[in-house]
Amino acid sequence: MKIPVLLDRKKTKAASSGGQVRVLDGVPMLAACVAIAAALYIFGLTGVLSSNIQRYLLKIFLYCTLSSMWNLMSGYTGMTSLGQQTYIGLAGYSLTVMTATYAMSYWVGFLVGAVISTIVSLILAIILFRMRGMYFAVATWVVAEALRTFFTSWKFVKKGAGMTVAARPYPSTSTIYIIALTLCIIALAVVYFLLKSRVGLGLTAMRDDPDAASSVGVDIFKSKLLVYVVSAIFTALAGGIFYLNKGSIYPAGGFGISWTVSMVFIVIIGGIGTMGGPVLGSILYVIFEEQLAKLPGGWTNIVLGLIAILVILFLPDGILGTLQKKLRFEILSQKRFSGE
Amino acid sequence: MGTKLVFSNVSAGYGRIQILSDLSFEVQEGEVFGVIGPNGCGKTTMFNALIGLIIPSKGEIIFDGHNITKMAANARCRLGIGRTYQVPRPFEGMSVFENVLVAAVHGAGHSEKEGRRVALDALKLTGLYDKREVRAGELTLLDRKRLEIARALGTEPKLLLLDEVAAGLTEAEVKDVMKMVADLKAAGYTIIWIEHVIETMVNSTDTLMCMAEGRNLLVGKPLDVMNSKLVEEVYLGVPEDE
Ligand SMILES: Nc1ncnc2c1ncn2[C@@H]1O[C@H](COP(=O)(O)OP(=O)(O)OP(=O)(O)O)[C@@H](O)[C@H]1O
Ligand SMILES: [Mg+2]
Repeated sequence: MKIPVLLDRKKTKAASSGGQVRVLDGVPMLAACVAIAAALYIFGLTGVLSSNIQRYLLKIFLYCTLSSMWNLMSGYTGMTSLGQQTYIGLAGYSLTVMTATYAMSYWVGFLVGAVISTIVSLILAIILFRMRGMYFAVATWVVAEALRTFFTSWKFVKKGAGMTVAARPYPSTSTIYIIALTLCIIALAVVYFLLKSRVGLGLTAMRDDPDAASSVGVDIFKSKLLVYVVSAIFTALAGGIFYLNKGSIYPAGGFGISWTVSMVFIVIIGGIGTMGGPVLGSILYVIFEEQLAKLPGGWTNIVLGLIAILVILFLPDGILGTLQKKLRFEILSQKRFSGE
Repeated sequence: MGTKLVFSNVSAGYGRIQILSDLSFEVQEGEVFGVIGPNGCGKTTMFNALIGLIIPSKGEIIFDGHNITKMAANARCRLGIGRTYQVPRPFEGMSVFENVLVAAVHGAGHSEKEGRRVALDALKLTGLYDKREVRAGELTLLDRKRLEIARALGTEPKLLLLDEVAAGLTEAEVKDVMKMVADLKAAGYTIIWIEHVIETMVNSTDTLMCMAEGRNLLVGKPLDVMNSKLVEEVYLGVPEDE
């Protein structure tokens, strides 16, 4: 990237024809990210944050992980899944079964959840990748629903009644906060570097036109597989941490479509196909969710739905996406410039 | 000069609809092989079968000695087959430069650094250099057609497939395309060129094939094919300016 621009405006102007986009990356952006991450670690480790604030923040980290992965799939690759809750449920149950049934550490629970999710995603990929667009989306949802039904009648996991996580000793909120923060940082870094890699270059092409992409040499199957499996693993890890924080799981929660609704909401209000969109969206989502929790049941979803509709109508690229377009900048863009 | 491409008795279509039936022809290395034929006779479908968007139900396609009949599209591209689409299919969300960079990196197998040079060369050759940072979705039709050629060249093909790149161009622009094809031929590319513009087919090709109803009706020297009774018959009733 020859145009990390903060300092070098003249050069970008010169290279422009239809108005160059300024990309915020390189050393200044790295420094900003490191500073924010360091501050979040220090706040967590020194105990200056109340456990309530820690709980908000760790939720933000987890939603940020989930929605960044959903964004990677839908926004950058063109694979719109409505079934990522498959991996959340599998990971949540792996955690509870490992800790409660086998009295193992929650780390083993996370690991088992990630491994099972990897295997399941590899198998599902073979079946699901034959479908495109709506068919793919609906099929992923059907798989999650099937698992929900199965777990509801599976005696080993106490059927629909659900199970309680039994980690001993149970980690404190600060510990879970640190784990969630670490996962979130790794997830964002993985998305960023994946998009910057040669595979990443092919992903956007694939999203815009899969046939044309394959006829210029992009290996559609391999690229999709990589994205799908990576998403499954991080979704599973986030799901495991979420249920460690929550303490219990039941099938309708773990495999519920409301996970997808949250991810879609976050990505759409933040800005689909942008690095920062899921981050901003997650912050807003957790704030809304906490504020709306005071409303009588059912109203939360109605208000969130209204917000989503308003954003789609007036800011079709999401809040950050619209800002980036209007002000012609991009945070940590995957864009490639000719550099001439 | 060997045989670059062989179609032998290829039948292919979309779903149950068969478009190509027992299509056979050969393309020699280094030549410009023209393809004409009435609308809907299966010229574009032949390209689709050749690059792997559809898989033949019968017959064989041999490219450079490899049997590619059932090979995946991206693998064929890497072997050296690059195509343009008759109806341009740019990656709309990407810049013009990125469109060609994808081809240079994934199709030609360059690193991004080397690919940048290949892409810029292709953009210069096709007159898109000044628009390199424009979003491809914002291009005019003419520029989209240019981008099709630039992207195909970005894959550094040995066999270049041009699908009606001169359609709808002014006479001067058609001349430019003919010059470009001549330059590419001189640079060693083998080219299959589908076109309805008679002038290009007569003047720029070494061999000309006329297709009709998914078959090879006639193949030979361009003028012989143009003047043949058979070809005249299939074109009867087809407006001259097509
Ligand atoms: N994706 C598709 N699905 C089904 N039928 C198709 C598809 N694409 C083309 N066809 C049909 O296949 C036939 C051959 O089309 P093709 O595009 O190969 O013709 P062509 O010779 O390139 O014509 P033209 O000169 O108009 O470009 C036509 O009848 C067309 O309607
Ligand atoms: Mg055609």
